[in-house]
Amino acid sequence: MSTDLGQLYQELIRSFTARPTDLKKCGLLLNQLKIGLIGAGLLVPQPDANPVDLATAREILEIGAFWSIRSKDIPSFDRYFSQLQTFYNDFSSVLPPSPREFPIRGLYLIRLLTQNRIADFHITLESLPLPADSLTSNPFISHPINLERWLMEGSYSKVWNAREEAPAEEYKYFVDEIMGTIRNEIASCEETAYESLPLKDAGTLLFFKTQSELVQFAQKRGWQVDLTGGAIRFAKKGEDKAEIPRQKLIAANLQYARELEQIV
Amino acid sequence: MADVDMKPTEEKKTEETKEEEKPKKVPLTPAAEIKLNATLIERAVSTFEPRFTHRVLRTLTSLKKKLDAGALRNATEEIYPADSQTRQQLLALFPPASTDLSMEIDTPPSKPATVEPVPETEVYFRLLLIHHLLASPSTYGKAMEISKQTVEKIQILNRRTMDPLAAKVWYALERSYELGGELADARPMFLAAQRTASLRHDDETQASLINRLLRSYLQYNLYDQADKLVSKTTFPLSAGNPQFARYHYYLGRIKAVQLNYTAAHTNIQQAIRRAPPATTAPGFYQAIHKLSVVVELLMGDIPERGLFRHPVLEKALTGYFEIVKAVRSGSLSQFQTTLSAHQAQFEADKTHTLIVRLRQNVIKTGIRRLSLSYSRISLRDICVKLHLDSEEDAEYIVGKAIRDGVIEGRIIHEKGWMECGGQKGGYGPEVIDVFNRRISYCLELHNQSVKAMRYPLNAHRKELAAADSAREREKELAKELAEGGGDFDSDEPGLGEGF
Repeated sequence: MSTDLGQLYQELIRSFTARPTDLKKCGLLLNQLKIGLIGAGLLVPQPDANPVDLATAREILEIGAFWSIRSKDIPSFDRYFSQLQTFYNDFSSVLPPSPREFPIRGLYLIRLLTQNRIADFHITLESLPLPADSLTSNPFISHPINLERWLMEGSYSKVWNAREEAPAEEYKYFVDEIMGTIRNEIASCEETAYESLPLKDAGTLLFFKTQSELVQFAQKRGWQVDLTGGAIRFAKKGEDKAEIPRQKLIAANLQYARELEQIV
Repeated sequence: MADVDMKPTEEKKTEETKEEEKPKKVPLTPAAEIKLNATLIERAVSTFEPRFTHRVLRTLTSLKKKLDAGALRNATEEIYPADSQTRQQLLALFPPASTDLSMEIDTPPSKPATVEPVPETEVYFRLLLIHHLLASPSTYGKAMEISKQTVEKIQILNRRTMDPLAAKVWYALERSYELGGELADARPMFLAAQRTASLRHDDETQASLINRLLRSYLQYNLYDQADKLVSKTTFPLSAGNPQFARYHYYLGRIKAVQLNYTAAHTNIQQAIRRAPPATTAPGFYQAIHKLSVVVELLMGDIPERGLFRHPVLEKALTGYFEIVKAVRSGSLSQFQTTLSAHQAQFEADKTHTLIVRLRQNVIKTGIRRLSLSYSRISLRDICVKLHLDSEEDAEYIVGKAIRDGVIEGRIIHEKGWMECGGQKGGYGPEVIDVFNRRISYCLELHNQSVKAMRYPLNAHRKELAAADSAREREKELAKELAEGGGDFDSDEPGLGEGF
């Protein structure tokens, strides 16, 4: 690794660990470093590369991943994560384990949750290099696992309470997004499960602190807010019109006829 | 026409010889069996009939068990001429035989071989040797080396008659790498070979290699890559049933992890149907049923009880049976205790993460049972009965269950209870869907079973020949008619005039 790349790297670490972090400067440094890494052939690592250089490249990318979250640039986080995967999966025998590996993997899991990409979440979870019993003992991984379980069960209050228990600073950046997802979930449940709901209770169920927030949210979903009675009425979905799906029926019958003809 | 006629008779002859051999087959020594197989391979190569090679490979499993170095050595010495180079090479590879076996070699005085056998025979010998070496852990390294050499040899020779053997050698290669603990290193080799095989339309090898790759991906939990491989390749339709069974099993695993349970279930059904009978391949049968039980539970179905009494499955599925009971009764605490009691087994089966997902199904079943038995129940009671942590949770969970259509009902928030509505009429647009699903399942079942049937490759030639001879006869008949009925023709105009 060339010396000016090393200098840039030192500078990045300095500015990243400084509080408060100068995100803009980090971003500029990261861009320069990435170009440098491409020049040194380390961005997409080759098997014969020097392990020390590889570890440095990995650290730069890890800082990049954290930086993307702090500057709320999620697509950039995805890119860093996919680059890091090569380091984590294919070079795990060459490189010493990174202390940032599991925080980043956990963040990626949460990121999948906020987008409701549950299938991808499970695939990523399966490919974690951990035995099943240590999944729950690793705080960075168990957090997203618990979140997913609660979301699937419907224990939304637990998700709400867990937002303070985030194992790393960066996890909190996703809390707002998760809360948005949850509110929409709860709202769709309420629409079918209740006929009407007192305003106050609706506020607590949806984790709103003020009534105005709730009213805004209710208007967005098209609920009838009865301010004088202090209640929300959910428009009852009319009985679905029992219409005969003609085209589907015809297509199905033709299909049966064709198949039967093949058999006979 | 002549040579088409020849074939069937020749085939019949081999069938007859086979029949003759059958009664003798029981006391056949491994060495003699190998020799017999070598002649079969010889015949397969000379007639371009992969059928014979397949017959040889079918005996592989049983032969593998009684194989020893002496038998291999003996067979090689008899089949290869004394001055053959391949003989020297092969003999050098074999582990030294113990003395009592070399005694046996001297006894049967048979005529010494003079003709160099086809290269397929050598590959067959190597395949046997690899399997022999895999029987004991101390020789895994050697097996790995030899299998690699063999694969290289096959690729240099590039003979189509080798394909069925090559597929088996790839399996042996994978097995040796897996047992040697270096499965990941073999992956680039598989990928390269898979490309070559698909370019050469070598279906047999291709099918085998796709399965090898899937296995190696799943071994390392690389579901993403496995999924990509599946979407980028087409599994050859002419592949044998065992390969298909494996392929469907791997697909089932991938789909189950992706939460696509319905598709996973179809694949698993296919795999079960195509798998060899439970007694011949108990391992596969058990593995696939374990997965099948979990996927069925995840789909919200309860597996049949009879399955758990199957003699092959009963013992292997005990843990799963407990889980099924817990899910059926909707008791979270029972589910948790069962899960932790059998955790080691589930992890070994790689079904642990799937079973953990069942938690929500347990809750759903619990709520459904409550909604069926009560017309009105307080959230507090739900909380107690389902062992939930708080009333607040119970409210959310019930709300979600109502939205997901698990139960019919409403929550009356002010009074803190749930009112359960009547059950659905059971007649509506969804009936069509259910009917459609069942019918398409039956049709699919029929089509797949038709596809799963295997016919001898050239059987239709016999029919063609029969049809040809029938046509010939017809022609002759027509000719005779034309000749014999000449005077008819002359009469006809007269007749026509009269009418």
